[in-house]
Amino acid sequence: MQLSDRVTGLFMVALGGLAAYGGSRLPPVPGQQIGPNVFPLVVGIGLAICGGMIAFGIGRGYEEEAEADLAKIQIATETGEAGHPHSWWRGLKVLVPPALLLFYVFAVDRVGFLPTAAVLVLITSLALGARLRLAVPVAIGAPLFVNLVFLKLLRVPLPSGLLPMPWLGLP
Amino acid sequence: MSTILEAFRLVMQTDVLLAILLASIYGLVVGSLPGLSATMATALLVPVTFYLSPIAAVATIIAASAMAIFCGDIPGALLRIPGTPASAAYTDEAYAMTRKGQPELALGICVWFSALGGIAGTLSLIVLAPPLAEMALNFSTYEYFWLAFLGLMCATMVARSSPVKAIASMLLGLLVSCVGIENPAGTPRFTFGSTDLLGGIEVIPALVGVFAVSEVMRAMLTAEPPKLPYRRFGSILKGQIALTKKYVAPQVRGNIVGIIIGVLPGAGADMAAWVSYSMSKRFSKEPKKFGTGHPEGLIEAGASNNASLASGWVPSLLFGIPGDTITAIAIGVLYMKGLNPGPTLFTERASSMYALYIIFIIANIIMIPLGIAMIRVAALVLRAPRASVMPVIVLLCAVGAFATGNNLFAVITVAAFGVIGYVMERNGYPVAAMVLGIVMGTMVEQSFVTSLIKSDGSILPFFSRPVAAVLASMTIAALLWPLGVWTWRLLRPWRAAAKSS
Repeated sequence: MQLSDRVTGLFMVALGGLAAYGGSRLPPVPGQQIGPNVFPLVVGIGLAICGGMIAFGIGRGYEEEAEADLAKIQIATETGEAGHPHSWWRGLKVLVPPALLLFYVFAVDRVGFLPTAAVLVLITSLALGARLRLAVPVAIGAPLFVNLVFLKLLRVPLPSGLLPMPWLGLP
Repeated sequence: MSTILEAFRLVMQTDVLLAILLASIYGLVVGSLPGLSATMATALLVPVTFYLSPIAAVATIIAASAMAIFCGDIPGALLRIPGTPASAAYTDEAYAMTRKGQPELALGICVWFSALGGIAGTLSLIVLAPPLAEMALNFSTYEYFWLAFLGLMCATMVARSSPVKAIASMLLGLLVSCVGIENPAGTPRFTFGSTDLLGGIEVIPALVGVFAVSEVMRAMLTAEPPKLPYRRFGSILKGQIALTKKYVAPQVRGNIVGIIIGVLPGAGADMAAWVSYSMSKRFSKEPKKFGTGHPEGLIEAGASNNASLASGWVPSLLFGIPGDTITAIAIGVLYMKGLNPGPTLFTERASSMYALYIIFIIANIIMIPLGIAMIRVAALVLRAPRASVMPVIVLLCAVGAFATGNNLFAVITVAAFGVIGYVMERNGYPVAAMVLGIVMGTMVEQSFVTSLIKSDGSILPFFSRPVAAVLASMTIAALLWPLGVWTWRLLRPWRAAAKSS
């Protein structure tokens, strides 16, 4: 998700502008000059100015220095990325963790913690290139362990859903 | 004296000691795994701290972060992959020593000087905090405003990125803190009619997202680090005393630089290590040896990053301004545990503060035996496949965020901030600056608006009080700094041309 400075800069300009506009529309406190509108206004204008400077490439020189420093270390860790051609679906793999978190929100109350967590762990594990021999035991073991810790040690009951397991002490 | 005894009584509880031990082991494991940072270790600990006593909660954070920062050196020295960003500065140096056949010496330096640096940092906390607290008792909202503003500006100055992008990230964080009804008038602001947003965006889930989820997202695209070959180590601490005596100056310099960087808001252990390593090279008598497995830089930077860890607590405890990303999380925990940061903490809860010092010293002392044990079993721990560790982290993000408020919206916050953190990192926007903005937003706004209301809209009182004036001039200098450097660079080729002609 590498974007050009122009794109991120203009996004900041838009966001800052919207924040300043939204802030200025907030109702003031009666009889008081200063209200909840001042802070978003100031921050929004500041953000828009910074965004403009970024879009015009001001301050780029510092980044090149830092990148040169980091580059020598990243060669060691990121060779795998450079070796493969960049296909668009490979890039989409990045979105797996947040998508799974949203799935968790959607499913945990309906299906229960253990199945939801098992799916979450299984998919993350497979997306990282694990074989089923590794992914399945982790997907079964990790949710059970986490559930036990939260239930017994921290006393936070997690939704049991379709899989009540009284023999494990789970509700 | 009675407060110190009371502090010992607070620390010598079974639950506190057990918490220190378990958190240390946790910190050692997380720190040694490449791709899992010390900040992430702390963020994932927060839900657990909910259910501990206040002292035990703080103890887990102190112990886990100290261990994780040291432990990042282990894969750095053995595999040339830093376990945490704080080790990145001297990874090459440590690995060169391993290649020369001295892995024991490299790792010994890391553990020994990390512990010494941590203790030096703790001493700075003990010495610096009380007089600063005395001073801070006289502060009014004007001073707090400038202090908070200065803190935010420092964070942007020291970021290893373009200062403009750092300021933008910081403002983004402030904007995030605007959401909700916690503003001077209690008006719903930027909630878009959502009841979940009325309470504002919670800090802890946001930090978990930025530091843990985005880390897993990054792992999706990078190759798995190579496995560590099993090897037998000789004596780890052999020769460390001799090195301590030989390199007194680099050590002292490393500790002082680490302490200063730790106190500066937003700059943490990784920054301290970078600065100390380059400083060591500049002041060394044998700069040519750097990069070939020379212990000097390793000593200075290794001491520096652990020293910064303790001194980062100084502004956090006194003003609620986080010294680094780890204390940004710790501040959240302090508030939850009724240990609200502020100068009164040192007058009213003095025994708790002494307890904190004792925990720091204990953590840095047990770092030596536990660290040596960890070095010996590192080959085993690093054998854990990433595909089994990362999924558990995603799961803990979800469950932990949910457990903090029994609210599924927190999990959505985690996911959203994971994406935001990832995109920002990829495009050179420092996330630490945004985190600082989120944590300090409410404080900045409150002190700003209260000051403006007190002064009836005039900005003169912001400068007329003596301490406020000093802080104001420092802030404005920090604000103009990037502009000054930029014009200097712009003029340089022109001046060079003028000189040659």
